Amino acid sequence: MTRPRRATCITCGDVAVEGRVVAVGPGDTATVEVDGRREQVAVELVRPVAVGDSLLCHAGIALARLERA
Amino acid sequence: MRFVDEFRDGTLARALAREIAGALPPGRHVVLMEVCGGHTHTIAKHGLEDLLPPGIELVHGPGCPVCVIPMGRVDDAIWLAEQPGVLFATFGDMLRVPGGRGSLLEAKARGADVRMVYSPLDALALARRNPDREVVFFGVGFETTAPATALTLLRARAEGTPNFSVFCNHVAIAPPLRAILDSPGVRLDGLIGPGHVSTVIGLEPYRFIAEEYGRPVVVAGFEPLDVLQAAAMLVRQLADGRCQVENQYLRVVRPEGNRRALAAIDETMELRETFEWRGLGQLPASAFRLRPAFAAWDAEARFELPADRVEDPRACQCGEVLTGAIKPFQCRVFGSACTPEHPIGTCMVSAEGACAAYYAYGRRAAGPPAKVPAR
Repeated sequence: MTRPRRATCITCGDVAVEGRVVAVGPGDTATVEVDGRREQVAVELVRPVAVGDSLLCHAGIALARLERA
Repeated sequence: MRFVDEFRDGTLARALAREIAGALPPGRHVVLMEVCGGHTHTIAKHGLEDLLPPGIELVHGPGCPVCVIPMGRVDDAIWLAEQPGVLFATFGDMLRVPGGRGSLLEAKARGADVRMVYSPLDALALARRNPDREVVFFGVGFETTAPATALTLLRARAEGTPNFSVFCNHVAIAPPLRAILDSPGVRLDGLIGPGHVSTVIGLEPYRFIAEEYGRPVVVAGFEPLDVLQAAAMLVRQLADGRCQVENQYLRVVRPEGNRRALAAIDETMELRETFEWRGLGQLPASAFRLRPAFAAWDAEARFELPADRVEDPRACQCGEVLTGAIKPFQCRVFGSACTPEHPIGTCMVSAEGACAAYYAYGRRAAGPPAKVPAR
Protein backbone atom coordinates (compact mmCIF):
# COMPACT_ATOMS: atom_id res chain seq x y z
CA MET A 1 0.00 0.00 0.00
CA THR A 2 1.24 3.44 -0.81
CA ARG A 3 0.53 5.95 1.84
CA PRO A 4 -1.48 8.82 0.41
CA ARG A 5 0.01 12.27 0.80
CA ARG A 6 -1.77 13.81 3.72
CA ALA A 7 -3.53 17.07 3.11
CA THR A 8 -2.07 18.56 6.21
CA CYS A 9 0.07 21.50 6.92
CA ILE A 10 3.81 21.43 6.51
CA THR A 11 4.43 24.22 8.97
CA CYS A 12 3.72 22.14 11.98
CA GLY A 13 5.55 19.02 12.90
CA ASP A 14 2.43 17.00 12.54
CA VAL A 15 3.28 16.14 9.02
CA ALA A 16 6.73 15.07 10.02
CA VAL A 17 7.01 11.91 7.98
CA GLU A 18 8.99 8.74 8.32
CA GLY A 19 11.68 8.31 5.69
CA ARG A 20 14.04 5.38 5.14
CA VAL A 21 17.68 6.32 4.61
CA VAL A 22 18.89 5.10 1.21
CA ALA A 23 22.20 7.00 1.09
CA VAL A 24 24.33 8.95 3.54
CA GLY A 25 26.09 12.19 2.58
CA PRO A 26 27.37 14.42 1.18
CA GLY A 27 28.30 16.23 4.35
CA ASP A 28 25.55 16.48 6.96
CA THR A 29 22.85 15.22 4.65
CA ALA A 30 21.21 11.92 3.85
CA THR A 31 18.86 10.83 1.10
CA VAL A 32 15.63 9.40 2.45
CA GLU A 33 12.82 7.69 0.63
CA VAL A 34 9.27 8.68 1.54
CA ASP A 35 6.38 7.11 -0.38
CA GLY A 36 8.76 6.18 -3.17
CA ARG A 37 10.04 9.73 -3.51
CA ARG A 38 13.59 10.59 -2.58
CA GLU A 39 14.63 13.75 -0.84
CA GLN A 40 17.67 15.13 0.92
CA VAL A 41 17.45 15.99 4.58
CA ALA A 42 19.91 17.53 7.01
CA VAL A 43 20.96 15.01 9.64
CA GLU A 44 23.05 17.08 12.10
CA LEU A 45 20.46 16.52 14.84
CA VAL A 46 20.29 12.72 14.60
CA ARG A 47 23.84 11.69 13.65
CA PRO A 48 25.14 9.07 13.12
CA VAL A 49 22.78 7.67 10.52
CA ALA A 50 23.14 4.54 8.44
CA VAL A 51 21.42 3.21 5.34
CA GLY A 52 18.20 1.50 6.44
CA ASP A 53 17.52 3.78 9.41
CA SER A 54 14.05 5.27 9.68
CA LEU A 55 14.09 8.99 10.35
CA LEU A 56 11.32 11.36 11.30
CA CYS A 57 11.74 14.27 8.89
CA HIS A 58 10.27 17.72 8.93
CA ALA A 59 10.99 20.89 6.97
CA GLY A 60 14.11 19.46 5.39
CA ILE A 61 15.72 18.10 8.54
CA ALA A 62 15.64 14.82 10.43
CA LEU A 63 14.30 15.30 13.97
CA ALA A 64 14.43 11.78 15.37
CA ARG A 65 15.40 8.23 14.59
CA LEU A 66 12.58 5.74 14.95
CA GLU A 67 13.01 2.70 17.13
CA ARG A 68 13.36 -0.44 15.07
CA ALA A 69 10.16 -2.47 15.25
CA MET B 1 3.18 -0.11 5.32
CA ARG B 2 5.42 -0.28 8.34
CA PHE B 3 4.64 2.31 11.05
CA VAL B 4 1.25 3.02 9.40
CA ASP B 5 -0.99 0.01 8.79
CA GLU B 6 -0.48 -1.49 12.22
CA PHE B 7 -1.69 1.77 13.77
CA ARG B 8 -4.95 1.84 11.79
CA ASP B 9 -6.35 -1.61 12.63
CA GLY B 10 -10.11 -1.28 13.07
CA THR B 11 -10.43 -4.35 15.34
CA LEU B 12 -7.77 -3.01 17.69
CA ALA B 13 -9.42 0.42 17.61
CA ARG B 14 -12.77 -1.03 18.71
CA ALA B 15 -11.03 -3.03 21.43
CA LEU B 16 -9.37 0.15 22.71
CA ALA B 17 -12.72 1.97 22.65
CA ARG B 18 -14.22 -0.84 24.76
CA GLU B 19 -11.27 -0.62 27.14
CA ILE B 20 -11.86 3.12 27.54
CA ALA B 21 -15.57 2.57 28.16
CA GLY B 22 -14.72 -0.09 30.75
CA ALA B 23 -12.23 2.11 32.59
CA LEU B 24 -14.52 5.13 32.65
CA PRO B 25 -16.23 5.42 36.03
CA PRO B 26 -20.04 5.15 35.51
CA GLY B 27 -21.73 8.49 34.94
CA ARG B 28 -18.41 10.28 34.61
CA HIS B 29 -18.04 12.86 31.82
CA VAL B 30 -14.40 13.27 30.87
CA VAL B 31 -13.13 16.18 28.77
CA LEU B 32 -9.82 15.61 27.00
CA MET B 33 -8.01 18.25 24.95
CA GLU B 34 -5.87 17.19 22.05
CA VAL B 35 -3.31 19.96 21.92
CA CYS B 36 -2.14 19.44 18.41
CA GLY B 37 -3.88 20.17 15.11
CA GLY B 38 -2.50 16.92 13.72
CA HIS B 39 -4.45 14.99 16.34
CA THR B 40 -7.57 17.00 15.50
CA HIS B 41 -7.19 15.81 11.92
CA THR B 42 -6.70 12.18 12.91
CA ILE B 43 -9.80 12.37 15.11
CA ALA B 44 -11.95 13.97 12.42
CA LYS B 45 -10.65 11.87 9.54
CA HIS B 46 -11.01 8.50 11.26
CA GLY B 47 -14.23 9.34 13.10
CA LEU B 48 -12.70 8.63 16.51
CA GLU B 49 -15.31 10.74 18.32
CA ASP B 50 -18.00 8.32 17.14
CA LEU B 51 -15.96 5.36 18.36
CA LEU B 52 -15.38 6.73 21.85
CA PRO B 53 -17.98 6.17 24.57
CA PRO B 54 -20.39 9.10 25.07
CA GLY B 55 -18.75 9.95 28.40
CA ILE B 56 -15.59 11.11 26.58
CA GLU B 57 -15.57 14.56 25.04
CA LEU B 58 -12.66 15.74 22.94
CA VAL B 59 -11.89 19.44 22.64
CA HIS B 60 -9.37 20.89 20.27
CA GLY B 61 -6.39 22.85 21.42
CA PRO B 62 -4.14 25.63 20.17
CA GLY B 63 -1.55 23.43 18.48
CA CYS B 64 -1.70 24.86 14.99
CA PRO B 65 1.09 27.39 14.53
CA VAL B 66 -0.57 28.91 11.49
CA CYS B 67 -3.79 29.48 13.43
CA VAL B 68 -2.16 31.29 16.32
CA ILE B 69 -0.23 33.92 14.31
CA PRO B 70 -1.95 37.29 14.81
CA MET B 71 -3.03 39.28 11.78
CA GLY B 72 -0.53 42.06 12.44
CA ARG B 73 2.37 39.67 11.95
CA VAL B 74 0.87 38.52 8.63
CA ASP B 75 0.69 42.18 7.61
CA ASP B 76 4.36 42.58 8.54
CA ALA B 77 5.19 39.57 6.37
CA ILE B 78 3.28 41.13 3.45
CA TRP B 79 5.10 44.42 4.02
CA LEU B 80 8.44 42.59 3.90
CA ALA B 81 7.46 40.72 0.74
CA GLU B 82 6.61 44.03 -0.94
CA GLN B 83 9.93 45.72 -0.20
CA PRO B 84 12.03 46.37 -3.32
CA GLY B 85 14.52 43.60 -4.00
CA VAL B 86 13.03 41.20 -1.46
CA LEU B 87 12.39 37.56 -2.30
CA PHE B 88 10.05 36.29 0.40
CA ALA B 89 10.13 32.56 1.15
CA THR B 90 7.37 30.90 3.14
CA PHE B 91 5.77 27.56 3.88
CA GLY B 92 2.74 27.13 1.65
CA ASP B 93 0.29 27.20 4.54
CA MET B 94 1.00 30.83 5.30
CA LEU B 95 0.22 31.97 1.75
CA ARG B 96 -3.55 32.14 2.20
CA VAL B 97 -3.71 33.33 5.80
CA PRO B 98 -5.56 36.64 5.81
CA GLY B 99 -3.99 39.61 7.54
CA GLY B 100 -5.56 43.03 7.77
CA ARG B 101 -4.23 43.80 4.28
CA GLY B 102 -5.06 40.55 2.51
CA SER B 103 -2.81 37.54 2.21
CA LEU B 104 0.70 36.79 0.92
CA LEU B 105 -0.93 35.13 -2.09
CA GLU B 106 -2.67 38.40 -2.91
CA ALA B 107 0.61 40.26 -2.46
CA LYS B 108 2.16 37.79 -4.91
CA ALA B 109 -0.66 38.52 -7.36
CA ARG B 110 0.15 42.24 -7.02
CA GLY B 111 3.75 41.49 -8.01
CA ALA B 112 5.59 40.66 -4.80
CA ASP B 113 8.12 37.85 -5.24
CA VAL B 114 6.70 35.29 -2.80
CA ARG B 115 8.04 31.75 -3.10
CA MET B 116 6.83 28.61 -1.42
CA VAL B 117 9.50 26.44 0.20
CA TYR B 118 9.39 23.17 2.12
CA SER B 119 12.37 23.98 4.30
CA PRO B 120 14.23 27.08 5.49
CA LEU B 121 17.30 25.38 3.98
CA ASP B 122 15.61 25.84 0.59
CA ALA B 123 15.24 29.55 1.37
CA LEU B 124 18.97 29.72 2.15
CA ALA B 125 19.67 28.01 -1.19
CA LEU B 126 17.52 30.69 -2.88
CA ALA B 127 19.73 33.33 -1.27
CA ARG B 128 22.83 31.61 -2.62
CA ARG B 129 21.35 31.45 -6.12
CA ASN B 130 20.11 35.07 -6.02
CA PRO B 131 23.00 37.10 -4.58
CA ASP B 132 21.44 40.36 -5.83
CA ARG B 133 18.22 39.78 -3.86
CA GLU B 134 17.33 40.00 -0.17
CA VAL B 135 15.85 36.62 0.75
CA VAL B 136 13.60 36.67 3.83
CA PHE B 137 12.26 33.43 5.31
CA PHE B 138 8.97 33.49 7.24
CA GLY B 139 9.85 31.39 10.30
CA VAL B 140 6.63 29.97 11.71
CA GLY B 141 6.00 26.96 13.87
CA PHE B 142 6.39 25.38 17.29
CA GLU B 143 9.54 23.73 18.61
CA THR B 144 9.17 21.10 15.87
CA THR B 145 9.97 23.59 13.15
CA ALA B 146 12.29 25.90 15.07
CA PRO B 147 15.25 23.47 14.81
CA ALA B 148 15.10 23.65 10.99
CA THR B 149 15.26 27.44 11.18
CA ALA B 150 18.05 27.23 13.77
CA LEU B 151 20.14 24.88 11.63
CA THR B 152 19.60 27.18 8.65
CA LEU B 153 20.80 30.18 10.65
CA LEU B 154 23.89 28.27 11.77
CA ARG B 155 24.63 27.35 8.15
CA ALA B 156 24.03 30.95 7.00
CA ARG B 157 26.55 32.13 9.58
CA ALA B 158 29.06 29.42 8.64
CA GLU B 159 28.73 30.32 4.96
CA GLY B 160 28.61 34.04 5.64
CA THR B 161 25.47 34.44 3.48
CA PRO B 162 24.87 38.21 3.51
CA ASN B 163 21.50 38.36 1.74
CA PHE B 164 19.47 35.99 3.93
CA SER B 165 17.34 36.76 6.97
CA VAL B 166 14.57 35.19 9.04
CA PHE B 167 11.31 36.85 10.10
CA CYS B 168 11.05 34.84 13.28
CA ASN B 169 7.58 33.88 14.56
CA HIS B 170 8.45 30.60 16.21
CA VAL B 171 6.41 29.87 19.30
CA ALA B 172 6.62 27.61 22.33
CA ILE B 173 3.93 25.06 23.16
CA ALA B 174 3.88 25.23 26.96
CA PRO B 175 2.77 28.90 27.50
CA PRO B 176 -0.56 28.59 25.63
CA LEU B 177 -1.34 25.42 27.58
CA ARG B 178 -0.83 27.30 30.83
CA ALA B 179 -3.02 30.14 29.51
CA ILE B 180 -5.80 27.70 28.64
CA LEU B 181 -5.58 25.96 32.01
CA ASP B 182 -5.77 29.40 33.66
CA SER B 183 -8.81 30.53 31.70
CA PRO B 184 -11.97 30.41 33.82
CA GLY B 185 -14.50 28.83 31.44
CA VAL B 186 -12.39 25.87 30.38
CA ARG B 187 -12.92 22.49 31.99
CA LEU B 188 -10.34 19.86 31.11
CA ASP B 189 -9.65 16.49 32.73
CA GLY B 190 -6.56 15.59 30.74
CA LEU B 191 -4.43 16.48 27.75
CA ILE B 192 -3.30 14.49 24.75
CA GLY B 193 0.17 15.97 24.25
CA PRO B 194 1.66 16.81 20.86
CA GLY B 195 3.88 14.05 19.51
CA HIS B 196 6.34 15.72 17.21
CA VAL B 197 6.90 18.84 19.29
CA SER B 198 7.84 16.39 22.02
CA THR B 199 10.49 14.71 19.87
CA VAL B 200 12.30 18.02 20.30
CA ILE B 201 11.35 19.21 23.80
CA GLY B 202 10.82 15.86 25.54
CA LEU B 203 8.39 15.32 28.41
CA GLU B 204 9.73 17.68 31.07
CA PRO B 205 8.00 20.87 29.77
CA TYR B 206 4.58 19.28 30.50
CA ARG B 207 5.34 18.40 34.10
CA PHE B 208 3.75 21.62 35.43
CA ILE B 209 0.41 20.52 33.99
CA ALA B 210 0.42 17.43 36.21
CA GLU B 211 2.05 19.03 39.23
CA GLU B 212 0.53 22.52 39.33
CA TYR B 213 -2.80 21.94 37.60
CA GLY B 214 -3.43 18.31 38.57
CA ARG B 215 -4.16 17.19 35.00
CA PRO B 216 -2.61 14.10 33.41
CA VAL B 217 -0.83 14.40 30.07
CA VAL B 218 -0.14 11.63 27.56
CA VAL B 219 2.10 12.49 24.62
CA ALA B 220 0.72 10.69 21.58
CA GLY B 221 1.49 9.79 17.98
CA PHE B 222 -0.70 10.68 15.04
CA GLU B 223 -2.26 7.43 13.88
CA PRO B 224 -5.78 6.58 15.07
CA LEU B 225 -4.60 3.85 17.44
CA ASP B 226 -2.06 6.25 18.93
CA VAL B 227 -4.77 8.74 19.81
CA LEU B 228 -7.13 6.05 21.15
CA GLN B 229 -4.38 4.50 23.24
CA ALA B 230 -3.52 7.94 24.64
CA ALA B 231 -7.18 8.45 25.55
CA ALA B 232 -7.18 5.03 27.22
CA MET B 233 -4.02 5.90 29.18
CA LEU B 234 -5.59 9.18 30.32
CA VAL B 235 -8.82 7.52 31.40
CA ARG B 236 -6.84 4.86 33.27
CA GLN B 237 -4.89 7.58 35.09
CA LEU B 238 -8.13 9.33 36.03
CA ALA B 239 -9.70 6.06 37.20
CA ASP B 240 -6.60 5.22 39.27
CA GLY B 241 -6.44 8.73 40.70
CA ARG B 242 -2.98 9.20 39.16
CA CYS B 243 -1.73 12.37 37.53
CA GLN B 244 1.41 11.93 35.46
CA VAL B 245 3.08 12.83 32.21
CA GLU B 246 3.18 9.63 30.16
CA ASN B 247 4.56 8.83 26.74
CA GLN B 248 2.42 6.82 24.34
CA TYR B 249 4.65 7.67 21.36
CA LEU B 250 7.55 5.51 22.50
CA ARG B 251 8.67 4.67 18.98
CA VAL B 252 9.63 8.29 18.35
CA VAL B 253 9.69 10.45 21.50
CA ARG B 254 12.56 10.18 24.01
CA PRO B 255 11.85 11.55 27.50
CA GLU B 256 14.72 14.03 27.12
CA GLY B 257 13.72 15.13 23.61
CA ASN B 258 16.42 15.92 21.07
CA ARG B 259 19.17 17.73 22.93
CA ARG B 260 21.02 18.73 19.78
CA ALA B 261 17.87 20.33 18.39
CA LEU B 262 17.31 22.21 21.64
CA ALA B 263 20.94 23.36 21.63
CA ALA B 264 20.58 24.66 18.06
CA ILE B 265 17.45 26.62 19.05
CA ASP B 266 19.19 27.97 22.14
CA GLU B 267 22.26 29.05 20.20
CA THR B 268 20.28 31.05 17.66
CA MET B 269 17.09 32.15 19.47
CA GLU B 270 15.88 33.51 22.80
CA LEU B 271 12.41 33.99 24.27
CA ARG B 272 10.66 37.32 23.70
CA GLU B 273 9.27 39.02 26.80
CA THR B 274 5.80 38.66 25.32
CA PHE B 275 4.06 37.70 22.07
CA GLU B 276 0.50 38.09 20.87
CA TRP B 277 -1.39 34.87 20.16
CA ARG B 278 -4.56 34.78 18.20
CA GLY B 279 -7.39 34.01 20.61
CA LEU B 280 -5.17 34.07 23.68
CA GLY B 281 -3.81 37.62 23.64
CA GLN B 282 -0.37 38.51 24.95
CA LEU B 283 1.46 35.59 26.54
CA PRO B 284 4.76 36.15 28.36
CA ALA B 285 7.86 34.23 27.24
CA SER B 286 5.86 32.36 24.60
CA ALA B 287 7.75 33.03 21.36
CA PHE B 288 11.29 33.15 20.04
CA ARG B 289 13.30 35.92 18.46
CA LEU B 290 16.82 35.71 17.10
CA ARG B 291 19.66 36.33 19.52
CA PRO B 292 21.63 39.56 19.03
CA ALA B 293 24.55 37.48 17.75
CA PHE B 294 22.34 36.65 14.75
CA ALA B 295 21.12 40.21 14.13
CA ALA B 296 22.77 40.11 10.69
CA TRP B 297 20.23 37.41 9.73
CA ASP B 298 17.27 38.86 11.62
CA ALA B 299 14.65 40.50 9.39
CA GLU B 300 13.33 42.44 12.40
CA ALA B 301 16.77 44.00 12.87
CA ARG B 302 17.40 44.58 9.16
CA PHE B 303 14.04 46.11 8.27
CA GLU B 304 11.89 48.75 10.02
CA LEU B 305 8.70 46.71 10.27
CA PRO B 306 5.39 48.59 10.63
CA ALA B 307 4.40 46.19 13.48
CA ASP B 308 0.80 47.43 13.58
CA ARG B 309 -1.65 45.53 15.72
CA VAL B 310 -4.74 44.35 13.85
CA GLU B 311 -8.00 43.32 15.49
CA ASP B 312 -9.42 39.95 14.48
CA PRO B 313 -12.58 40.12 12.32
CA ARG B 314 -15.64 40.49 14.55
CA ALA B 315 -17.47 37.53 13.05
CA CYS B 316 -14.53 35.22 13.60
CA GLN B 317 -14.53 32.96 16.67
CA CYS B 318 -11.12 31.35 16.06
CA GLY B 319 -10.05 32.38 19.54
CA GLU B 320 -12.80 30.35 21.15
CA VAL B 321 -12.10 27.39 18.86
CA LEU B 322 -8.38 27.53 19.67
CA THR B 323 -9.02 27.40 23.39
CA GLY B 324 -11.58 24.62 23.08
CA ALA B 325 -14.40 26.85 24.35
CA ILE B 326 -16.55 26.05 21.30
CA LYS B 327 -16.55 23.36 18.62
CA PRO B 328 -15.84 24.58 15.09
CA PHE B 329 -19.47 24.05 13.98
CA GLN B 330 -20.62 26.29 16.82
CA CYS B 331 -18.83 29.29 15.28
CA ARG B 332 -21.37 31.64 13.77
CA VAL B 333 -19.62 31.79 10.36
CA PHE B 334 -18.44 28.15 10.11
CA GLY B 335 -19.24 26.68 6.72
CA SER B 336 -21.29 29.69 5.63
CA ALA B 337 -19.24 32.88 5.39
CA CYS B 338 -16.04 31.02 6.35
CA THR B 339 -15.00 28.09 4.15
CA PRO B 340 -11.59 26.75 3.03
CA GLU B 341 -12.10 28.57 -0.30
CA HIS B 342 -12.94 31.87 1.40
CA PRO B 343 -11.59 31.69 4.94
CA ILE B 344 -12.23 34.41 7.47
CA GLY B 345 -10.29 32.84 10.29
CA THR B 346 -6.98 31.03 10.40
CA CYS B 347 -8.54 27.82 11.76
CA MET B 348 -10.18 27.40 8.37
CA VAL B 349 -7.14 28.41 6.31
CA SER B 350 -4.56 26.13 7.74
CA ALA B 351 -4.94 22.52 6.67
CA GLU B 352 -4.27 21.75 10.30
CA GLY B 353 -6.87 24.09 11.73
CA ALA B 354 -9.70 22.51 13.67
CA CYS B 355 -12.31 24.18 11.43
CA ALA B 356 -10.63 22.93 8.25
CA ALA B 357 -10.57 19.42 9.71
CA TYR B 358 -14.24 19.54 10.66
CA TYR B 359 -15.19 20.99 7.29
CA ALA B 360 -13.10 18.53 5.26
CA TYR B 361 -14.49 15.47 7.02
CA GLY B 362 -18.11 16.58 7.05
CA ARG B 363 -18.49 17.36 10.76
CA ARG B 364 -20.94 20.23 10.36
CA ALA B 365 -22.85 19.49 13.58
CA ALA B 366 -22.65 17.36 16.71
CA GLY B 367 -22.87 13.63 16.05
CA PRO B 368 -21.66 11.55 13.13
CA PRO B 369 -20.72 13.44 9.96
CA ALA B 370 -23.36 14.34 7.41
CA LYS B 371 -23.02 13.06 3.89
CA VAL B 372 -21.06 15.64 1.95
CA PRO B 373 -21.82 15.93 -1.75
CA ALA B 374 -18.76 15.26 -3.91
CA ARG B 375 -17.24 18.41 -5.28
